[in-house]
Order: sequence, then structure tokens, then C-alpha cells
Amino acid sequence: MTVGRPVERVDGRAKVTGGARYTADRTLPGMLYSYLVMGTIARGRVTAVDTAAARAVPGVVEVFTHENAPRLTSDQHFMPLQGTQIHYNGQIVAITVATTLEQAQEAAELVRVTYAPETPKAVIADALTEVYLPANQEVIVGDPTAGLAAAEVTVTQNYSSPPHHHNPIEPHATVAQWDGDRLTVHETSQGVVNAQRTFATTFGIPQTNVRVLAPYLGGGFGGKSPVWPHSLLNAAIARQLGRPAKMVLARSQMYSIVSHRAEFRQQVTLGAKRDGTLTALVHHSTQQLSRTSENMYSHSISSRMLYACPNIHTRQQGVRLDVPTSRFMRSPQMASHFGLETALDELSYQLGIDPVELRRRNYTDVNPTTGERFSSRFLLDCYKLGADAFGWSRRNPKPGSTRDGHEFVGWGMATEAHDHNANPSSAMVRMAADGTVLSQTATQDIGTGTYTVFTQVVADALGVPLNQVKVELADTNFPPAALSAGSGTIASVTGAVNAAALAVRTAVVQLAVSNPASPLHGVSVERIITQHGYLFSPDRSRRESYRAVMARHGAPVQNTSSMTNARGYSTGAVFVEVRVDPRYGRVRVTRGVGAYDAGRVMNHKTARSQVIGGFTWGIGNALMEHTVLDRRTARVVNPNLSTYLLAVNADVPEIDAIFVNKPDPVSTALGARGFGETPITGVPAAIGNAIFHATGRRIRDLPFTQDKLLY
Amino acid sequence: MTADSEYKRRTVLKAGSAAVTATLVATPAATPAAAAQTDSSSVDMTLRVNGRDHRLAVEPRVTLLDALRERLDLTGTKKGCDRGECGACTVLVDGRRIKSCLTLAVMRQNVEITTIEGLVRGDKLHPLQEAFIRQDALQCGGCTPGQIMSGVACISEGHTRSADEIREWMSGNLCRCACYPNIVAAIQDAAK
Ligand code: FES
Ligand code: FES
Repeated sequence: MTVGRPVERVDGRAKVTGGARYTADRTLPGMLYSYLVMGTIARGRVTAVDTAAARAVPGVVEVFTHENAPRLTSDQHFMPLQGTQIHYNGQIVAITVATTLEQAQEAAELVRVTYAPETPKAVIADALTEVYLPANQEVIVGDPTAGLAAAEVTVTQNYSSPPHHHNPIEPHATVAQWDGDRLTVHETSQGVVNAQRTFATTFGIPQTNVRVLAPYLGGGFGGKSPVWPHSLLNAAIARQLGRPAKMVLARSQMYSIVSHRAEFRQQVTLGAKRDGTLTALVHHSTQQLSRTSENMYSHSISSRMLYACPNIHTRQQGVRLDVPTSRFMRSPQMASHFGLETALDELSYQLGIDPVELRRRNYTDVNPTTGERFSSRFLLDCYKLGADAFGWSRRNPKPGSTRDGHEFVGWGMATEAHDHNANPSSAMVRMAADGTVLSQTATQDIGTGTYTVFTQVVADALGVPLNQVKVELADTNFPPAALSAGSGTIASVTGAVNAAALAVRTAVVQLAVSNPASPLHGVSVERIITQHGYLFSPDRSRRESYRAVMARHGAPVQNTSSMTNARGYSTGAVFVEVRVDPRYGRVRVTRGVGAYDAGRVMNHKTARSQVIGGFTWGIGNALMEHTVLDRRTARVVNPNLSTYLLAVNADVPEIDAIFVNKPDPVSTALGARGFGETPITGVPAAIGNAIFHATGRRIRDLPFTQDKLLY
Repeated sequence: MTADSEYKRRTVLKAGSAAVTATLVATPAATPAAAAQTDSSSVDMTLRVNGRDHRLAVEPRVTLLDALRERLDLTGTKKGCDRGECGACTVLVDGRRIKSCLTLAVMRQNVEITTIEGLVRGDKLHPLQEAFIRQDALQCGGCTPGQIMSGVACISEGHTRSADEIREWMSGNLCRCACYPNIVAAIQDAAK
């Protein structure tokens, strides 16, 4: 068995040699470069666009504005360049097209746009009277008012978090090529099948006329899940100009047209008995919406699914602002979860109950909103494993009780939890006449390890060595499969890959046992053992290699299978140590332990990397990451990586990842659940809780920057 | 090729953003002088990359990064920001690590440029490439070539005496997937 083992990434070699071709690495003969011009007002109209200077740049083929851009509609997003209306700062107002990148960039700088601006609203604080409750955004369980009345202790606090931008290291890129009414697009996409549908709908051509490829994706984190308008415009330009066109976004452009995590405010009210039992949980949030969309992505799911509480009220309000439309971002539930897990820490101090113990007392294996039993939940094991590995029992709960030199040391913890998607998926497995195996499915590897895990799944199902299996992904010519978002890839697609491989196995075994030329002739199909590339009789006295069976057969054996999986919920517990320098208000995270119930772990190496990645995002969200909007212009003032700070190597300590590793019985993914988004959700709260433990200072506004600790 | 070979450094360095400035007021049309400056002008140059001479004719404003990627099809070197902030474009010039987005191709003649494609010896990976795979120091791979080139230099500079020292000297290379502890482990492995 290779599933579960820490198998090295099968795409590792391609990625460490530069051999892996990403979208922006494609260069096609005759290809043009498109480059965007971004608007500089957030609200109002374009009154004139002067493209004369841009057109005069040698090599410039065309300059598109709202006056001459191809007419497009999108059923998903506001489509720029179709009129004069401006809805947010950094909206696309023109596109230059030239024979080299430098020419297109130079021309873009020479486009002159004149506006009739209006005063925008950029932040929730400026539109508090416009907060409203969109449809279907309220859930009430039991009687929250009565629950609060029955409480012996209550905590009510407000928490807030800023907008964030996904910032994958690979910028969004798109390369479009038409052949008559057939379109091929290399697209930085977390979902080639969805992308295919979007391109087909936009251009009014059959889906089968569109091929989308994204064999390697340099990170997405949610921001590359839809096809954004710039990709549709680039494809339209390629069609109009009759040449392939490539567009790669500049880093700064990624702060306005490819979405973000919405600014978020929340109020959490907890009612509890003196023993810590929750009697009521009221969680109201307000998140930023855009003028053109009501979508919201942080839904207080933790408040509805995590703890035993009979009376729950969640309410997700919105406020429309003159900013771009937000999207889910690793991990959507983080924002609302931060409020809940900080409030629980506050409650633990009010009650004088250890924060782990408080969570244990409110543990449930029944979904408190629906009353249904979870198919499996080992969260109590996570508390125990994590606390033991961290040494939590040695903690003196008194804030400010531990110093090391001039630094305050604090320990904090939080539960981690995220739901995961499961989308119907299909996969093909084919054993060639030489015994080698190919599996193809149109899901993606966005860095999480899909190539590797599916190689393991196929190898195990057939009983062949890993190096006999090749997996190909993210091409719409392959059987359709899940979007890689919402922790859904492994959970959605593994079952189909496994089923196809098992079907091929059965067919090949059948070929062997039914053929008098095989040493296995006459053995019943069910009794054959497959291992190491061989078929064995039950007592292993006779054997034949797959290679030999296939050589005799002389033709490939192939199967395509489909599977649906259940959605699920993966939980865990995270423990952190921080050191706070009181002179500078500087916080460093010096230790981290996470313990998780992700169902069955498919590959310990890649799963551990998901934990490290999530934990690091949690450090970033807690200590540095935030997008700053100028309130007068609704413009992002830090649209670059030197002022939008991500965690760097020196910010991240050793991180210990522990897995309960018990298969979820309802999972068709060999017992695995979706997991990628769980190990970040609790980290900002755990760090804030540790800062409180270190200093006695409770900060309720992310990120916990030095200014907030120094006041 | 024309005689006009003015190095348009300003254009190069501003290239990360095409946001239009001064847009609330009507702006004058491009002056004739400005129009003249936009004449394209390629120059012949030779870049020595991974032990091979490449002759190419590109405008002087073309960065080393864009020359490698868009002209020489050496796309292993990645562009993450085009302004020196992410490290995805790190290459070695005479053994020193530099960000290839912050230098012009024309300025890098008569030097040895090493990119990620130049680390392999025949079929054999460089020890740091092997260590990256072994330690799972990569996920999406978008930052990985830059991390490895930077790591090779970090080792040759001798900045590997402790994990903390590696963390510090590798902090110019961002990894959004956040493989940092594994990158440190890989560099420690390869430095042995
Ligand atoms: S692309 Fe050169 S540092 Fe980011
Ligand atoms: S591996 Fe994805 S950015 Fe580093």
C-alpha cells in the first residue's frame, strides 16, 4: 500500500528543474501580448479615452476601450469595457495589444482616460446605515433569547478583520488561440471544466469547441476559481485580431480584478452556565459587498456546526460599497471563526476554565443545527494529541505570568474547522499493452499534491509500482471532474480514480484467468492477488506479471468511472506559542502544534505541507496581512508585495502536524475528507489568545500589528 | 535596428503598473518629443546562459527576466511581481543571486548566467533539487525555481550555520503556499 505513506511528489522533478510549463510560460507562434489599463476612480463614468499616443507606439496592433472593445456578457461577473460606468477603483478601462510585452506595457501607460467621478464608499465604517440582510442569510436554532436569559455568564464582543488578497506567486495568466470557432485556452484555473463552460457560454459556442488546460498552477487559493472578465476579453481579442493572445496580470492589477477576502465585522455573544456549558450562541456579521454582486463567503458555519449549543442565531449582513466583488479565499470560514474562537477564550477566562477543557465540555458529535450525527468526528482526540505534544498541561493560565528575558511568552489555542466540497467527478484509467498505466481526469493539482495522491491510488488499486503509473490532469479533453476549491479535489475525485483503476484490474485479471496460456488459468477472478506489478494465485505459488498479460492481449484495457462523494467537515486543534517584545510590540510565533481529524490521510508528506501552509497563512492573517483602502478614493494603497506583507521564511517556526488518521466511513475517497482549508481557521484566534496570555492585552481587530500592542 | 538605443529604464521600472496618473484633469496629448522616444530599437546582444551563448536582438529596455522567458524560452525562471519583491525570478550571475526582473538583459553580457534549467548535470539533479523533493519544499512550484537558485547561493555564501540563519537569508524569496520550514530543511540537507 502506498496510500497514507509520505510518498514524494511525482511532479517534484518537473517543478525543481523548471520543466513544468505554467500558463504564462506558453508562447505561441504569431502570439500578441495584451496588457491592461486600470481606472483610477472608484465610482462615476469614463468621459473620454485618448488612445492616440498609445496607438503611436511601434508594434501596437490595437487599443481597446469601452468604445471599440468586443461586446461580451458574463452571467457571473460584471463585464468591464462594455460601457462608461465605473464600479470600483482599478477597473479595466482599456487594453493595449502589441507584438511584444514591452510595447504593450508602454502603450498602456500612454492611454489617457478622463472621468466624471462621484464620491465612493470604501469601507464598512462609512456605510453603517446601509447595512442590510440579503436573502437566506439567517439561521435560528432553538430559542436564542431564552438561551441567553438562562445563561449564568455571557460574553459579548465585536471583532473585525480587513480585506485580504490571494496573491498566488504565479500571476493570473491566459493564452487564447482560435481555430475557426474552436478555442484553446491555457488558463490559470482552479477548475478547467467550469472555465470551459464559461468560455463556451460567453462566445456562444458548444462546450466541446472549447479546450481549457492548466496542468500546472502556481497557486490559486480561491482567486483562480472562476474565469475573470480579463480572460474572456483576451480571448475575444484573439478572435477579433485573428492571432493568439497572451495576457499576464501585473502584480498590482491583482488587487482589483481577481477578487479578495471581504472586509468583515462581527459580534459574538456567548451565554454559558458556570460549568462552561453553552446555552446560547449569537453570531452576527457584516461583510463588504460590491455594487454588482451580493456574494458572501464567510457564513459562521463554525457557530452552527462545531459546538453543542441548543440555541443558535447566525446572521450574515452585507453592505454594498464601491469596491470589487469579493470571493472565497483560503480559508473562507477563517474570518467568522476568528470571532467565535476568540470569544470562547474570553469566556474561558471569565469562567476560570481552561480553554481546552471549555471546548471539550461543549463537544458534540451531532450537528447542532440539523441534529444529524456526524459520520465520524475525532475532535476530542485532536485536543488530547495536540495538547500533549505541545505540553499544554504545564501552562499557567494567568496572563503575563511567563517571561523570558525582556519578552513575554504566551500560549494560546483554538479549534480548527472547515467544511469541504464534494462534486461529482469522473476519471479514466488505461493500462497500455506494455503494462504501463495512464490516468486522466479534468481536476487540478493546485500545489496540494493531486498528481501524487492519484498516482498512489491507481498504483494501490492495481497493485503496480508507483513508477508504472502516470497521472494527467487539468485538460478538458479528460473526463470532467471537480473544481479545486473548497478543499474538494481529493474528496471529490479519488473515488472515481479508484473505481476506474479497480475496473481495469478486474478486466486484466479476467484476461489472465480465462486464457489457457496464463499460469493463472482457471483461478477465480476474486481470489487473485495483485501486488508489485504481478497477479498471484491465492497461495502465491503461481504468478504472471501485468506486463505479460497485457503483451499477450496486445491491446490497452481502459475504464472511465464516475463517483459522487458526500460533503464533509474536518476539524482539529491548534496550539501556539508567541513571544511579545514589550518595547516594540513585536509578536513572534515561536512554536506551533496542530492535530487534525481529516479522515484517512492519503499522503503524510503532502498533508503535512497543507498544515504548514495553513498555519503560515494564519500567522500572516494574525500579524501582518491586510489590504489598505484609501477611504476617499476607495483605492488599494498597498497593491504590491513590499507593502502587502506576507509571512516570509523568518516568520515561521517549526510546526508539528499530527493526524488522527481514521477513515470517514461515508467517504468514497477511500475514507479521506477534504482538509486543505482546515489548518488556518483557528490560527489567528490562537495567536490572539496567546498574545492575551502573554500580555493581558486582548486585541479584537486583525491583524495584530505593533501599533495596536503599543498604544 | 535603429540608432536610437536610449535605455528606457523608467519604463522598465514602472512596468509593474499601468495605472494612469493624473486622470481627473484633461491631459495634453503626447508631445512630439515623447512620440519620438517611443521608437522601438533593438540591439544585438549575447547572453551566456547555462554555459551556452545565446545571440538575440531585443530592445535595451527588456529585462533579463523577460529576455529569458519570452525570447529564449527559458521559462523555468518565474515572474511573480516584476519589481524585486518576491524572488521568483532569482538567477545566478557569476555565482551571485540576483533578481532578474530588476536588471536589463543588455547589462548582463559577458557574465555567466545560471538559471534553474542549468542546475541539472545530464540526468542528475543538483543536490538541492533532490533535497527539495525529499523534504517536500515545494507545493505549487511557482516560487520553487527562485527558492532553489537562492538556496544554492545561500549555501555557497555560507549562510547555513543555523536554521535561523537560513530563515533570515532566504526571506527574500516569498512562498505563498508557505513551504518555509521544508525549504529550511532542504537547504540544511544539501549544505551537509
Ligand atoms: S519577479 Fe523579480 S522579484 Fe518578483
Ligand atoms: S510552492 Fe507555491 S509559492 Fe512556493
